[in-house]
Amino acid sequence: MEIWRLPISASQRGKLISSGYTSLSSLSSISSSDLARELKVSESEAMNILKVASHSRGSETSNASCSIVEGAQSAWDMLHDEESLMHITTSSADLDNILGGGIHCKEVTEIGWSSLSLIVNSVLKYKLTTAFSSESIIFMLIGGVPGIGKTQLGIQIAVNVQIPNDFGGLGGKAIYIDTEGSFMVERAFQIAEACIEDMSEYNRFLRKDFQECKIKMLPQDILENIFYFRICSYTEQIALINYLDKFLSEHKDVKVIVVDSVTFHFRQDFDDMALRTRVLSGMALKLMNLAKRFSLAVVLLNQVTTKHTEASFQLALALGDSWSHTCTNRIVLYWNGNERYAYIDKSPSLRSASAAYSVTARGIRNSSSSCKRIKMM
Amino acid sequence: MTPQSLLQLTSQKCTTGCPILDRLLYGGIPCDSITEIVAESGSGKTQICLQLSLHAQLPVSHGGLAASSLYLHTEFPFPFRRLHQLCLSFRSSNAHHFPVNDNPCDRIFVQSVHTADHLLEIMSKTDPFIENSKNQVPVRLIVIDSIAALFRSDFDNTPVELKRRSSLFFKISSKLKALAKRFNLAVLVTNQVVDLVGPNEGINGLRIGNLVCLHTSGRRVCPALGLAWANCVNSRLFLSRNEEVIREENEKSNGQSCDFVKKKMRKLYVVFAPHLPESSCEFEITREGLFGVER
Repeated sequence: MEIWRLPISASQRGKLISSGYTSLSSLSSISSSDLARELKVSESEAMNILKVASHSRGSETSNASCSIVEGAQSAWDMLHDEESLMHITTSSADLDNILGGGIHCKEVTEIGWSSLSLIVNSVLKYKLTTAFSSESIIFMLIGGVPGIGKTQLGIQIAVNVQIPNDFGGLGGKAIYIDTEGSFMVERAFQIAEACIEDMSEYNRFLRKDFQECKIKMLPQDILENIFYFRICSYTEQIALINYLDKFLSEHKDVKVIVVDSVTFHFRQDFDDMALRTRVLSGMALKLMNLAKRFSLAVVLLNQVTTKHTEASFQLALALGDSWSHTCTNRIVLYWNGNERYAYIDKSPSLRSASAAYSVTARGIRNSSSSCKRIKMM
Repeated sequence: MTPQSLLQLTSQKCTTGCPILDRLLYGGIPCDSITEIVAESGSGKTQICLQLSLHAQLPVSHGGLAASSLYLHTEFPFPFRRLHQLCLSFRSSNAHHFPVNDNPCDRIFVQSVHTADHLLEIMSKTDPFIENSKNQVPVRLIVIDSIAALFRSDFDNTPVELKRRSSLFFKISSKLKALAKRFNLAVLVTNQVVDLVGPNEGINGLRIGNLVCLHTSGRRVCPALGLAWANCVNSRLFLSRNEEVIREENEKSNGQSCDFVKKKMRKLYVVFAPHLPESSCEFEITREGLFGVER
């Protein structure tokens, strides 16, 4: 209870509590004369108490909600915030559909870029508002075998986050942490170019609604807005994530962090496995804090490994069960016949579903097969 | 820590010596990246490695890296004679780039490797070696031919040993990538294949990359060293060879059996690569080297 923390005398505190004022919010709407009468103290003393109380409430004025526990929000406020959340769209309409519109800026997921129909969908469906709260961000793991398109997805997200607000995007920048050396600039350029072309086409399509929406972006601009870090060891990885705090406070327009892949450097011999678990959970915690503080999405690309059961093998996310469980949202990419599929393995807010997608020269797009279907589990 | 500017980050490539292959690979073998070539014996892995080591010496304006190469070989003996043969044809077609008495073979440093630990040892010495080479012709290409030979015999098939083997993969790959980044090297690694037998191939039947299944010499195969190693390389190329019947010859009038004219059909496939689409092309191996064929 915040009353305990107020810098007032013990007798004043005792009087407040016995009169029923147990939280700061209860002091927000009372006048000093009323308070003086209630507490049987002088008016100047009451005014002092109110001043101290409003002072400690000062930092929360932006969110306006009164809470008993600092940082908490009522469920109603949370629902309101969710509805006004911005989404980073994927390029595949089916993927976006199972992801409730795209990657939330609170949750990290993997997503690609969508086709023209998806851009239209996401704009019409969601309010073009830039308000989103500073609630905690849950990050998401995306795992898959080599060649399934994890890096492609990562690049697509880093490009998609930059879609301007006028097109239903976040207009933000991206941090891309490359641990494997898979990032190819020419591919990012290709994807950026295709993204701008899609936007121009959309612009032409809806010309009557958006007069001033000229596409002035160039692929080079998109590449410039991706902060690219290449790291070569796990110590560098930890150091970088620790450094991101400072970096993000200087670059408040970053809206997504992509780590490709988060597992590579941890799969070497760690003499002490308990140390590895500690380091990993520390890193996860840091990332979650960054996501929360700076209101951004965190996308972690994960390798897969095999788990040997009695009869056969099973694919599992690398780095063990405890690592997988630190992330509340997980998407698994896999091959189904000749198609690439994304499956929501776990999520607190989305239903388990799978959707097909494809990797094209323009980036991630809807699967081209005509019999694709979103399967709900 | 400052982020790298993507606009200044150019991915340099090393030409393979054949414009058709270069087109398939969008320029050649990329630097700051590990490219793996998977094939069964006799498919042309070593040919590509030797050819690349020579063409890396071409100036950058002609697709090379203006560099010498470090060739780590694990299978014996090293094909010196074939290298010499390739060198002659390389010199004759690129005479204007090299002075008269120059021998491109001088710029290929060959080192034999016996075990995985030996490889790690060599790599720790490679750092100063490459650093020193900057004074003459810098080393910009490392070839490991083949990585599979280092791991095929030393490890039992128990989970503990396999785990130890896996962490060695990541250690080696991590060191190679660090070297590649530090000196902007291209790394080329060759790998062998294992046969897939029967309908239940277990983990080896897992699809990795663009091809549902790899076929060579009429058999279904998969790359050696498993899923763990697949996670360690950036790009994977597959060379297949098959005997194809072109036509029948000497057809007898009574329809009895006749001679078939067979031809070796060789194809290069992109299994996975972050910058390449799914593609393939035919190639042939001649005295002058390995070249793509346009049909």
